[in-house]
Parts: sequence; structure tokens; C-alpha cells
Amino acid sequence: MHPIFRLVNRNLTISLNMGFVIWQVIFPVIYIFVAGFAYTALIHNVPFGQKNLDYPAFIASGMIGFNIMNSTLISGIIIWNDRRHGMFEQILVGPFTRAQYILSNVYTIGIIGLFSAGLITAIGYPLFFKSVEFNLLTVPLVVFASITGAILFGSIASIISTRLKSSEGFNVIINTVFLFFAFVSTAFYPAQGAPPILATAFYLNPLTYLVDVVRAGIFGNFTETVGYEMIVLVVAAAVLFGIATKLLSKLEI
Amino acid sequence: MYCIEARSLSKSYGNLVAVDSIDLLVKPGKIFGFLGPNGAGKTTTIKLLTTLIPTSAGTINILGIDASRDPLEVRKKIGVVLQQPSYEPNLTVEKSLEKYGMMWDVDTRTRRNRVEELLSAFDLQDIRKKKNDDISIGQRRRVQVAREFMHEMDLLFLDEPTVGLDPSARRGLLDYIKGKVRDGLTIFFTTHILEEAEYLCDEIAIINHGKIIAVDTPEELKNKFGREKTIKIHIGNVENIFSILQGVGNYEISHDEGTVITIHSDDSEQVLVKILQVLNSNDIPVEDLSVVPTSLEEIFLTVVKNSDNNLGAKN
Repeated sequence: MHPIFRLVNRNLTISLNMGFVIWQVIFPVIYIFVAGFAYTALIHNVPFGQKNLDYPAFIASGMIGFNIMNSTLISGIIIWNDRRHGMFEQILVGPFTRAQYILSNVYTIGIIGLFSAGLITAIGYPLFFKSVEFNLLTVPLVVFASITGAILFGSIASIISTRLKSSEGFNVIINTVFLFFAFVSTAFYPAQGAPPILATAFYLNPLTYLVDVVRAGIFGNFTETVGYEMIVLVVAAAVLFGIATKLLSKLEI
Repeated sequence: MYCIEARSLSKSYGNLVAVDSIDLLVKPGKIFGFLGPNGAGKTTTIKLLTTLIPTSAGTINILGIDASRDPLEVRKKIGVVLQQPSYEPNLTVEKSLEKYGMMWDVDTRTRRNRVEELLSAFDLQDIRKKKNDDISIGQRRRVQVAREFMHEMDLLFLDEPTVGLDPSARRGLLDYIKGKVRDGLTIFFTTHILEEAEYLCDEIAIINHGKIIAVDTPEELKNKFGREKTIKIHIGNVENIFSILQGVGNYEISHDEGTVITIHSDDSEQVLVKILQVLNSNDIPVEDLSVVPTSLEEIFLTVVKNSDNNLGAKN
């Protein structure tokens, strides 16, 4: 087996425990089914392209992007744990290169991102099936969002994990950053109607672009804006991945 | 061919010279002990030899491969147990072994057999289902060392592998290592427990302040640096022994069950002859005579002290 796949196998084994899977399912389920229906009293419909989505359908599709982002935390956690428990050095004195270690993390978060997207699509499908408009772009767009989003947010988590040594610091920073990404985005609520500063902030957040691409795929609303958003995602993912790789390859032993 | 051939090897961190132009030659099928005080440069040397960090100067050839040109090829043929603990906290002991074998591309059947063999050899059967996070530091260290034997290798680096092990686990590990060397494995071994080095090593290098200050077999090191011998002469209670032995030379007298004359000097044999002559002429019978062998620890302390003194004199 190729060294990268051996490392991916190892990454998945140490990451995919029952706690992680529950965390991956319970959080979105609560958001989709509790927040989704509770907020219906406040938000009846969300205009989306030519459609009017009900709020549960809107939040369920937003949760796909949210869960892709959340699942990529695992990338930072793997690197941070490897450094803390000596496995980073142990792997690098084994039959692996740093580049293989980095690529294995990318593959891992890509797989976990796709798994998360699939999971939430399955869970949320009953809520948005009325508005779903499958077409040739649906699956490619969701897969694109899963992989690009996984690389983008996985790189952010990796960058944080290379800069912080204490567990408290790592947890505080990563939770704060990801909390900001989660709530200052269009994953939970539409930008229309939000205060202008907040609406602008939504579009400084890559999760907004990720969620927009997912929704465009599911609800069949591919526009020129979505195309630009995809370009922004690719560029941001490439830049952040470059920074993460640089930091990881310079990480002192 | 040497398993390890390092020439003029150096590593600096800014102005700090951690390893200072050392030469190392390790023969195949041998256990090479690498000793030195804390901060002497042992771990840095291991990191250089295992290609974990780049050299500042010098060349390293491991198993015939130029380590700077092809570090990955080197790493495929060696095993390394680093000084610091390394483990996957949420894996069980047996899963850790199994996954480590998988990482080294060992086939499934061999992995399964080796896991069972190592669980027995390292006395890990009782904790095989426990997670690494839930076992003691000593047990974790045993798992870490055992894990390295999951894959094939020609050369194994062991950086203080017995830290945290109880005496029986330590002896078990040393004997397991000896067995592997009989099968052809070469071992580069560091420790602070000099009895271990004496028990295990075919050849020993001592490093201090980044420089190799002595290299030889344990016996030759003793011959070279162990000039001071300790000889104990047991006689009956003789009250005026001090006045009888006046002027003989370096010795100490203690009274326990009888009188013990302890000679500890560079010319112990000559002092012994003189004392025996005096005792004989005074009709004092010798009840027992023993020679305390020079330990590697004494040699180590002597060599390091000499090196510190030389460095102090230069500065």
C-alpha cells in the first residue's frame, strides 16, 4: 500500500471513534430539527434565487457546509495530538516524508468532509426534498464544496495546531475561530435583512461561499455569483494549504 | 562495511554547538553503546543519524546509504525508539502494535503473529485491551519499544529505552535485545544506567560537550582508564594496625567484624605487596583478600571529569 494511504488508514483509525461520529451527527441533528423548527416561528421563508425555501430546508442545507467545516477540525487535532504525544517525530523517523504526512492529512480531511456532507445530506434530505432540484451539477458541486471546504478549513486548523503548544490555547483558539466562522455566515440565516456590517462580514467568511455552493447544487441555482464564489474558495484553499504546508515542513523537531 | 559511518559530524543551533565534528563507526551485528551526561549531544546525534534533523557539517552513511542524499531509504531500513514517549492515546495496546505494523506495510498475517509474539515477549498480555492513555508510563514505554519490533530492520536506534521500566522488565528487554542481535540486528543504544551498557554493549563511545572523548570495548575502556583499583584485605582485630602500617602508602582502615584495609590508588598492586610484607613480618594472618572490579560507571565518571577539566583548562 502506498505510504500516504497507510497514513490515511492510521489517521482514520485514531480519529473515527464513537465520540466523533456522535458529535458529527448529534450537533447537526439538533440544529436541523430543533433550531430549524423552533426558528420557523420567526423565519417563515428564505428567498433563494427563484425559490422560497422554508427555514428547516434552509438550515439543513447550511448544516452540510457547517459539518464539512466542523469535521476538518480533526486535521488540527491529529497534528496537535501527534506533536503532543510524540507521534509526529516517530512518523518522520519511519518510512514517510513530511510531504506524505501533510498529504495524508489532506486526504483524511477530504474523506471526512465527504462523509460529513453525505451524512448531513441524508439526515437533512426529508426537510429539503420538496425544494431539491437535481441536475448534472448537483453532485459535482456538493463534492467540490466538500473537498475544497475540507482543504480550506483543514488548513486553518493545521495552521493553528502548528502555532500552539498548550492544550488550553489550542482549544480556546480553535473553538473561537470556528465559532466565528459558524455564526458569522449564511449557514444559519440569510444575509438579506441582517445589519449591513454583519452582512458584509458574512462575505468575508469562506463558510458563506461554501454554503452558497452547496445550496446552489442542491436547489439547482447555479449563477455567475456562485461561479465567482467557487473561484474564491479555490484560491483561499490553495493559499491556506500553502501556508499550512510551509509551517508543517518547518516545524522543528 | 560499517552499519553506521559518520565522519566529522556536526550540528549547531546558532552559537550552540550540540555535536562537534564527531566520527562514529559501528560494525554490523554489534551493540554500540553511546554514553554521555545530560545535554552532551546523545539525542542530537541520534536525530542526525536517523535523518530527523539535517547536519550542519559532515557525512553520514547508514547501511551503505548516503543519509543526506537518500534519507527515506535509510529510514526504511532502520527502527527508532526515541527518548520521548510516542503513542496514540485512544488506541489499545494491541491495536497500537497492529497499526504500527500496518504503517510499515507488514502484511496482515505477519502482523497478527508478531502482535501475539510481542505481547508475550514484553509481558503485555494483561493490558492488551487497555488504551495507551490508561496504562502506566513504564507499560507505555514497553509498548513503544515492542512496537518497533513489528517491522523488519537492519539497524535499531534505542534512545534510553529502559527509562521508567522496573528491574525485571528492564532485564527482560535487555535479554530480548541480545536475542535480536544474535539474529543479526545491529543496535545503537544510549542509556544513563551504566550497568546496562556494561551488560549489553560490544563497544562504547562516550560523548561530552558534543565531542567523542572515548571509544572502545568496555574491557579496553577499563584497561585504559581504570588504573585505580580497589583491594580489600580482611584481618582479625589488630588494635595497633595504624602504627604497624605507618609509612606504607595509600590505604584506609575500617573496623567492622575485624579490620578491613582498603587500598584505592593507581598503584594498588604495589601498595598491596608492601602491606602483605608488613603483615607477614608482624605475624598477622590475612583472613580474606578481595579485588573490587572497576565498574564502567567509575570509568565514565573519570573520563567525563577529565574531559571537563581539559575544557576548563582550555577556557
